[in-house]
Formats: sequence, C-alpha cells, structure tokens
Amino acid sequence: MSGRTVSKHVRVYAGGYDVSGYSREIGPLLWEFEPAEVVTFADAVKGALPNHCIVNPGTLNGVMDATATVGLHVIASTVARRIITVAIGDRAAPAAGVPVYCGEFNQMAYQAAGDGIVTVTAPFSFAVDGTTLVYPKPWGVLLHALGAETGASTATGFDNESGGATTFGGFFVYHVTAGDGTATLSVDDSADNAAFSALGGATSGSIDFSTRTSGLVALSRQATVRRYLRFQIALGTATTVTFVSSFVRMFW
Amino acid sequence: MAAQTGRTVSKWIRFGVDDSAGTAREVPINTISVVGLVYEEQDLTAFQDAVKGSLPNHPDAPIEIGGPWDTTAAAAFAASAATPVLSGSHTVLNPINGGNTPLALAVHFGVRHYWETGEPVFGIVSASSANGYLCVSYTINSADMTYSAKFVLFPGSAAPAWGTAIIS
Repeated sequence: MSGRTVSKHVRVYAGGYDVSGYSREIGPLLWEFEPAEVVTFADAVKGALPNHCIVNPGTLNGVMDATATVGLHVIASTVARRIITVAIGDRAAPAAGVPVYCGEFNQMAYQAAGDGIVTVTAPFSFAVDGTTLVYPKPWGVLLHALGAETGASTATGFDNESGGATTFGGFFVYHVTAGDGTATLSVDDSADNAAFSALGGATSGSIDFSTRTSGLVALSRQATVRRYLRFQIALGTATTVTFVSSFVRMFW
Repeated sequence: MAAQTGRTVSKWIRFGVDDSAGTAREVPINTISVVGLVYEEQDLTAFQDAVKGSLPNHPDAPIEIGGPWDTTAAAAFAASAATPVLSGSHTVLNPINGGNTPLALAVHFGVRHYWETGEPVFGIVSASSANGYLCVSYTINSADMTYSAKFVLFPGSAAPAWGTAIIS
C-alpha cells in the first residue's frame, strides 16, 4: 500500500525502545541544505549550490509516564545521545517497506509541563554521530517492522525510488527491544529480488540481545548497494529477537 | 478543448519536477510560493538626486512548495489537457534533495480546466547539465503528515521564464 497517511500511523523508536505509546508528536523532521549563493556578473539569474546539510528530528512531545523500564519518563529523563527511527505507516501501523527517518542525535533537554495531563518534551540536536556526519540524508526504508524473528529471512525485498542499484553507500539502523541471547542483524541486497546476498558492512556483528540496544552502522560512501534490500538475522545463542531495522540509501 | 484565456483558480495548477533519473513527475501540492522572477533592486541614488533611483540587478526565482506527504509510485507526467497523474511526493523528492544535477521544474497554470499547451507555464521546462533547479530542502511535519520543499536555481543557469510548453 502506498499513498497519503495520517499521524496515528507514525511510530518512534529511540535507543532500543518503542516510545510510540507515549509520544504525541515529533518533528518537524528537518532535512535541509544551506543554499550557498553563487552568482557571477554574467549570470542570467541568481543561483545556489547545496552546502552543509541540516538533519534534525525536532522535538519529541509525549506524555509523562513513569512505567518501569519502558515509560517515557524512565527513558528520556536522563539526557543522552540516542539513535532515533521514525517510521511512517501507510494508513496502518508501519510495515516493512515504508519510509523511515533515521539518525543519531543528542537529546538536549527533558522538560515537563501541563495544565491537565502532564506532558514532556525532548528536543534533539542536529545529527552529531561521526558515522552519520558523512551521510547528509535521514530518509530510508523500513526493512523489518517491530516484531520477533526466530530464523533467517527468505523473504523478497524492497525496491528503492531510483529503480536501480546505487554506488554511494548508506547506513544500517536497528533497535532491538527484546531477545534471549546472541544474534547478528544485517542487510541483504539483490539485483533481481530473488537472489540475495549479504550487503558488505551492513551488519551489527554478533551481539547479546538479552539487553535492549540500538545501533547505526555506516557503509563506505562509495559502497555499491544493489536495487532490492531485505533484513537478515543469524541466530547465535538466541532463539528469538524482537527488533526494527532500516537502511538509509544514498542516491548521490 | 482548445487552450483558454482569462482568469483561473488554483485547482488547475500543476507542478512538475524531474525525478533523480531526469523524468518529469507531478507531485501533490497544496501550497506554492509566489512564482516568477524577482529582480534585486540596486539603489543608485546620489545625494544630488531629487528622487531615489535604482536599477534591476540579478533576478531570482526560488520556489517553495508544500502538500500532503505521499508514497505513491512514480508515474508519467500527464499530457496536455489530461487529468493530472500524481507521483508520491516522498517518492520523487527523497532522491533529489541535496543533489547537484539540474532539474526541470515548471508550474503549469490551467485556465479553468486541466492545463493544456498554450496556457501559462513558468519555470525551466527542459533541464540540461547547466540549466535547471536544485532541491535544497525536504522537511516533514509528522503532526499533519505534510511536507515542504524548496528549490533554487543551479548557478549559471538560464533564467526560468514564462512560456506555454509542457515540462519535458
């Protein structure tokens, strides 16, 4: 399904937590290049080139909730650097294949207010992580919607907007909300959506997912990424892992 | 139906822009900035002048649009007089924001019916390696699921102009 949608189908993942049930708004989901004006005497019209990029997920606004472990107050009241994924479902909860906004950002505050229900706000900084600083782009594709997996993927994958392979790299983002041992999350790519192989570098490595975690793994800026992508998981000692994974592909 | 003249309303406006492969697409919009060339006014008044005077310097024609965020698959830009066929705003804008390849971009003003050849068009209807627009901003408001985007001209580009031809 594709087309237009509404905000009730937005989901927010932060540092291995699904905070959608506590969040009311996030944004604006900024992706802007400073236009550097380049004009010479002889030019017919003013022109500009895109200079530094600004990627900023804005402010997360939610309800104050001190539920143990997963409540927004428990998660966000300590200001920290967080990996953020915002998934936007197509008139339903986000399914694999929908667009996601991803990156690693510093949370800059945690403030409570309210006349009536008590709400909290958590504004985020511009992208700061060293791996994402080489990638001026936050929009990618959700490869695995939040859910449990107990074995390797043999599914078909997802196409991209350019309709072909790209040679400008990208980065892999994951949030694991539950698990019972070690496993490796990764990305497969394919030229034909039938024969898949591992996308070099797009792997979490073996991690004990008994503890909630999130990660962002950047490929080289010149890496070839074939047309179709799908999630992959290799179980170690784990028998089940519950996670969200995404890949942000660069087009230039 | 032949091209019409006279007044019109915004529901007949069609916005076209190249995708990352250089193919013209039409994305859904519900806002658009003022369209047209605006010249930088250079004040050249001397103390001795009785009245302020100026000359027009370089013109500029940035274009900002907004509309519903949409993931519909890319489709061909509908022909003259045809019902618009929309491509998803995310589908088209995600790959081109921040790129350095000039894009064709044109705003088609249909006159009380779907635009057709002979009715006003502003922009650069055919891009080249030196002429066209660049996308420099693509931002989503997740509260109402709308987007906004901004386009500026590629340095050294020919000036966009008013014409009557369809984007190609």
